[in-house]
Amino acid sequence: MAYLVNRLMSVALTLFLISIVTFGITNILPGDVAMMIMGTQSNPEALEGLRQSLGLNDPLLVQYGRWIGGMLSGNWGESLLFNEPIAPLIAQKVLASGLIVVMTMMMALAFAIPLGVWAARHRDRWQDTTSSTVALLGLSMPDFFIGIMLILLFAAGLGWLPSSGFVDPAEDFLGAVRHAFMPSLALALGLMAHLTRMTRSAMMGILNQEFIRVARAKGLPERTVVWGYALPNAIGPVMTVAGLQIGYLFGSIIVIESLFSYTGMGWLTYQALLNRDIPLIQSTIFVIAAVVMLVNLAVDLLYRVIDPRIRLG
Amino acid sequence: MRKFLSAKALIGLALVLTVVAVAILAPFFIAPERATQMVMSARLQPPSLAYPLGTDQLGRDLLARVMLGAQTSLMIAVLAVGMSIVLGLPLGIISGYFGGRIDNVLMRIIDALLSFPALLLALTISAVLGPNLQNTIIAIGIAFTPFLARIVRGEALRVVQMPYVEAARAAGTRDVQMILRHILPNIMPALIVQATISLAFAVLAEAALSFLGLGTQPPMASWGLMIQASRQFLDLAPWTALVPGAALAITILGLNLLGDVLRDVLDPRVR
Repeated sequence: MAYLVNRLMSVALTLFLISIVTFGITNILPGDVAMMIMGTQSNPEALEGLRQSLGLNDPLLVQYGRWIGGMLSGNWGESLLFNEPIAPLIAQKVLASGLIVVMTMMMALAFAIPLGVWAARHRDRWQDTTSSTVALLGLSMPDFFIGIMLILLFAAGLGWLPSSGFVDPAEDFLGAVRHAFMPSLALALGLMAHLTRMTRSAMMGILNQEFIRVARAKGLPERTVVWGYALPNAIGPVMTVAGLQIGYLFGSIIVIESLFSYTGMGWLTYQALLNRDIPLIQSTIFVIAAVVMLVNLAVDLLYRVIDPRIRLG
Repeated sequence: MRKFLSAKALIGLALVLTVVAVAILAPFFIAPERATQMVMSARLQPPSLAYPLGTDQLGRDLLARVMLGAQTSLMIAVLAVGMSIVLGLPLGIISGYFGGRIDNVLMRIIDALLSFPALLLALTISAVLGPNLQNTIIAIGIAFTPFLARIVRGEALRVVQMPYVEAARAAGTRDVQMILRHILPNIMPALIVQATISLAFAVLAEAALSFLGLGTQPPMASWGLMIQASRQFLDLAPWTALVPGAALAITILGLNLLGDVLRDVLDPRVR
């Protein structure tokens, strides 16, 4: 319990620091919101008037207080680019990206775990070399390049999948999955390298242990020993790495969603950055950083629930 | 394993040296104009004798562009990683060596920065400063700093507990001297490994930034820009994407292999 309280306090502190970084980065921008609303050619007096009414002449601390107050009370302001309230816009895009994140993780684990287990069972043999080569190749290809190759293959060549766009899962689930398939696959191939390595090393540690020898001595089939006995004990560290990769994933998603014109959180962030929509930039990067931090917290807590060995008071 | 390891080392080294050689020598063999020279009659040509890797949508020689792109890519990566070392090394050492309250405060800030995906941080900084060559370096350099500071701090924490540091302290060594003579040399191996791996990520980040239009700007030869430009002509001229994509993959693969081997050789924890 004390651990949980401690952990939550540190989450609150980190969130506060994240908000400061977010606000800080966007305030070193040359030009401001008023200039963006009225354009660079606008009348200086009108510009000054708008600045005054938007409170842009207030001290930074006051401006920060107003911004964070708005964020906390759910009033996230309006996007200059889309002329829409930001909070509902982001809520909708987070759901769209959620589908990609979930599909990516499922695909990455579906490749990485068997590959890692295979490598661990045949340590230092050709299977091991093959597995680490495949993983390294995945790591070395930029995901947007993999994405382009997938478009060339599945959309332009075979015509199996749509090359771009987004479909709302609530309206047409199968269509949504079809549109999210290529972006997720491109991301998954990049993510699987670390997961494969982690699975391999965790499995090698477990396969050397006594209880595995006992299970084998009992005459259990090798399949049961590996998948039923060893893997459940090796999965913890793999899940931790998967959790840590969520952060990396939220960076890559900006590139991949833009490539596939998949209108999720990454695409929204990119549009905000490209058009210097300051209120939207602030909200999107704050939300992404907060999500990354909370996912890491969740993984950490889950790990403690699953693994009794590290359940601390 | 030894055998595979040395094969891995050789391949990694060969790939990296090739790319470095191309990057350094390309300007001597290829006039910079050749990469920007447009031949309208030779647009989207497949690989041929005149153009070994084909041409792009403006009739520019892809071989010349991909070779000059190596220079852009490596220069940005090296300078950005160098910048993250200049910023992150002192932060990490101070945090790990002095510990206590300084460490607490610094690590809280680093943790908050680490919550921002590095690519998002780089994209935001580049968008904010205005995308160009110099700001691409700054953006990637700042984005990588928290990672580096974290690693250096961990190493410094480990080294500080070593008996030889205790002995030096008992002998009355001052902090500055202690850091320069005992701490710094002993975190070097980990730093070299991390820098090599960071180079791979920096090459990737530069390509991603340029691909999104928030990195180097046309008409500069950059692999990310080349892939971006190829998108419209994919089904007509797939080589316009394959050439820079392969160059990127070779560079990153080489750096990753080298980083792996260096870790096996230098990192005391995996030895």
